[in-house]
Amino acid sequence: MSDGRLRQVRALAQRELDAVVRTRTYLVLVTLFGLAVASVPALGGAGGYLPLVLNLMTPVEVLVPVLAFAFGYQAIRADAERGELDVIRTYPVRRATYVLGVFLGRATAVLAAVLVPLALAATFVPLASQPAPSFLASAATVDDPIYYVRFVSITGVYAVVALGIAVAVSTVARTRREGLALAVSTLLVVVVGLDLAVVGGLTTGVVGPDGLGATLALSPASAFRGLVLAFAATPVAGASAPAPAALPSVVGLLGWLIGTLALATVTVWRT
Amino acid sequence: MDVRYVLGAVVVAFGLCGLAFTVQPAGGAAVSPVSFDETLSMGMTGVDVRDAEAAGYEIPRGQAFYAQYQYVIGYYGVEAMVEQLESGHAVRQFGEPVALFVTEFSGAQPSLTDDGYLDLDNDPGVDWVRADHAVYAVDSDARTTAGPTVVPFERRADAERFTDEYGGRVVDWDAVRERYGERPAVARERQAGLVENRTAWADRRVAASASLLDRPRSVVVGRDAPTVQAAVERAPPNTTVYVPPGTYEENVTITKPLTLRGAGERTVVDGGGNGTVIRANASGVALADLTIRGVGPRDLGTGEGNVSGWDAKIQLVYGRGDAGILLSGANRSLVSNVTVDTGANGVIARYSDGTVVDGLVVNGTDQWQDGSMGVLTMYSRAVVQESTFEGGRDGVYTHRSDDLVVRNNEMRGMRYGVHEMYTSGALVRNNTFSDADAGVIVMSRPRENVILDNDVRDSDVGVSLAGDASYVTGNVLVGGGTGMTIAGTRSMYANNTVVDNDIGLRSDTILPSNRVVENDVAGNDAPATASSGPVAVWTSGGRGNYWAGAPGLDRDGDGVLDRPYRPADEVDRALAESPAGPTVARSPALGLLREAQAVAPGLRRSDVIDTGPLVEPSRPDVLTEVNAT
Repeated sequence: MSDGRLRQVRALAQRELDAVVRTRTYLVLVTLFGLAVASVPALGGAGGYLPLVLNLMTPVEVLVPVLAFAFGYQAIRADAERGELDVIRTYPVRRATYVLGVFLGRATAVLAAVLVPLALAATFVPLASQPAPSFLASAATVDDPIYYVRFVSITGVYAVVALGIAVAVSTVARTRREGLALAVSTLLVVVVGLDLAVVGGLTTGVVGPDGLGATLALSPASAFRGLVLAFAATPVAGASAPAPAALPSVVGLLGWLIGTLALATVTVWRT
Repeated sequence: MDVRYVLGAVVVAFGLCGLAFTVQPAGGAAVSPVSFDETLSMGMTGVDVRDAEAAGYEIPRGQAFYAQYQYVIGYYGVEAMVEQLESGHAVRQFGEPVALFVTEFSGAQPSLTDDGYLDLDNDPGVDWVRADHAVYAVDSDARTTAGPTVVPFERRADAERFTDEYGGRVVDWDAVRERYGERPAVARERQAGLVENRTAWADRRVAASASLLDRPRSVVVGRDAPTVQAAVERAPPNTTVYVPPGTYEENVTITKPLTLRGAGERTVVDGGGNGTVIRANASGVALADLTIRGVGPRDLGTGEGNVSGWDAKIQLVYGRGDAGILLSGANRSLVSNVTVDTGANGVIARYSDGTVVDGLVVNGTDQWQDGSMGVLTMYSRAVVQESTFEGGRDGVYTHRSDDLVVRNNEMRGMRYGVHEMYTSGALVRNNTFSDADAGVIVMSRPRENVILDNDVRDSDVGVSLAGDASYVTGNVLVGGGTGMTIAGTRSMYANNTVVDNDIGLRSDTILPSNRVVENDVAGNDAPATASSGPVAVWTSGGRGNYWAGAPGLDRDGDGVLDRPYRPADEVDRALAESPAGPTVARSPALGLLREAQAVAPGLRRSDVIDTGPLVEPSRPDVLTEVNAT
């Protein structure tokens, strides 16, 4: 990438971040997300990093796409609606540069919104731990903060992928109403639809046990879940069954990210 | 806000998190054995361990580290460790074992005493070794006070030398697991067997002792002799001394097999506040139809005397207070239809095996601190039945009286109703207790005690049990402070009806290894509390307990709610009490919180979870009856 294009990306990303920071409603959204995440160890009890991962896995799987969509589903369509896109196109900006800039700017905000509450949630573990009676020997259990850090990383990737999908939605939709409808439908598909499709495939025999691992990786939510079980909940997931293979999930998530950004690039405007 | 810095910070944070994938988590790292004193131990009784320690004999031991449990579990006897590993309970509650160690005797040059106890020439030679690296002498003559035992060695040659001398054979760890893994540690069949065995023995003893009342009458007090003591001395053995109605102010000592029989309430023997009123120092003594008063004031002994053993102090302090009746070395004696008014003990039985106490009435002190025990047994396998105890310290106090039977008694207003110390294999059945600090309390880690079908009302604690492989079943615990405390190891708490207490069941062990199933818990301020330790799972074989009002549906009609219940949890407690409970219970938000909480219980904070709450009470008729009163 040339210097000039890098500057363009930076300028565009800055513009997006400024837009996010200016919009106070986003702050409310992030606060609510943070409260939802914190409520899990606060109300449900943690006791360890591994239990916390297990407790947070499902809430995060549902809430992170919601958050990412809130940040992303209007990103580009709003520019188009206000005519700013036409202004931008008067500059020598390539489509890919524009999409990447928008994506990076929004991704910065989304990652901060996801990572900070998760980091805070982890502080409940040492705060809430019960002191061991001193006359008893304590041994290291399988519990380890490493698992939680891995969980945070995987969640970050999941958030970025979800944002990619949201940005693609914002380029495909042409009107505000269409944008909302498309965003909600896509969100439903991502959170439950694809998994339901896989289950349907199993029921009808289209998908067999052999192909299940690869098929599941097509759903971002399942790929996320598979990676968490494989890397961040290993002792629990691996106790009764072999940990799910990680490669299809990684490929699946990367595929979604690249695919959606490519789709956004192609559809953002006609050359 | 410059996007470069924010993005840079996020990327750096993200990158650091990514490093976590290159680090191997600590779990499963090399562990080394800890001092046995620092483990949570189970497996043998307090008596067995203390006997062995006092005699200087060695008990083979094990210790286990589990992946999801922060404490180390110690086992007296390799068999106990194998049993728990193979039962599946340990894995469910604590996760997979990370490391197992056993004591090995290769360097200790073990020999066996004549009784088969392990005696070591070189005590410091005992070492911890990984269980799968050791070899084991099984079926040899080696035993502990609890029974035959497996002896681990590090080197096969040493094990073979041992089996050459003491019999048995040498096997590896897998064979040991196979051999001792089959035995069900706690099972209803085992309980039924114990109950049947103890009941049959008690019935035989009661029937046999009744014949003591058929002895021919030889001497009548007042007619043939001036005092009771004179009559006792004059009467030939195996006859009856009759004490007509009247008050006899004297202390009596009986040193031959004799029956002393009065006319019931109207025959009063009054010791005048001077020590023990009637003492029997011979086997086969019967005391019947008497009223005893004027017991001396000493509720405890002075501790002076000539007794050896680690429990000498207990024997000399508890066993040497004043009593209405003292049976000392009086095997197969009988106390029948006797009333004792006492500020100290009612009946003390020391070294009087097979004693029967039937139809005793003890009127003790109003304040328990002033009094002592209704019946106190030491080294005496006794039957205490159909008796009434009012006031005083403990209704029945037992010390090292294995296999005794306490049944069909009524106890009111005291410290503890039945108080077992260092007593295993006892049956406490069908007694009623009220206004006590505790109904039945078992201490000092014995094993195989059965607390069956008792009724405890208005007491601070209904049943409190310590020990191993014991059974608390079919009891009715109503209107008290705490219904039951769930403690001890590998014990079963089943089919109890726990109603209207401040706390229904109190989980009181940091080593949850008990079965708590099919209890009916209703109307308590708190159905359960967890005071220490990790999450206890109170479900076995998919079936848990009946918690009145527990929300949830039974969609598959198997009698078990689909939703786990957490009786110690404020939220679930409220849900069970409110008509809106089912609505909240089906909220996905609460579902999210609850979903993963049954996983990895060993790592979580103290709590109780029942993954199979019952739809219907296990004893609906009892519950209805209790609720109606």
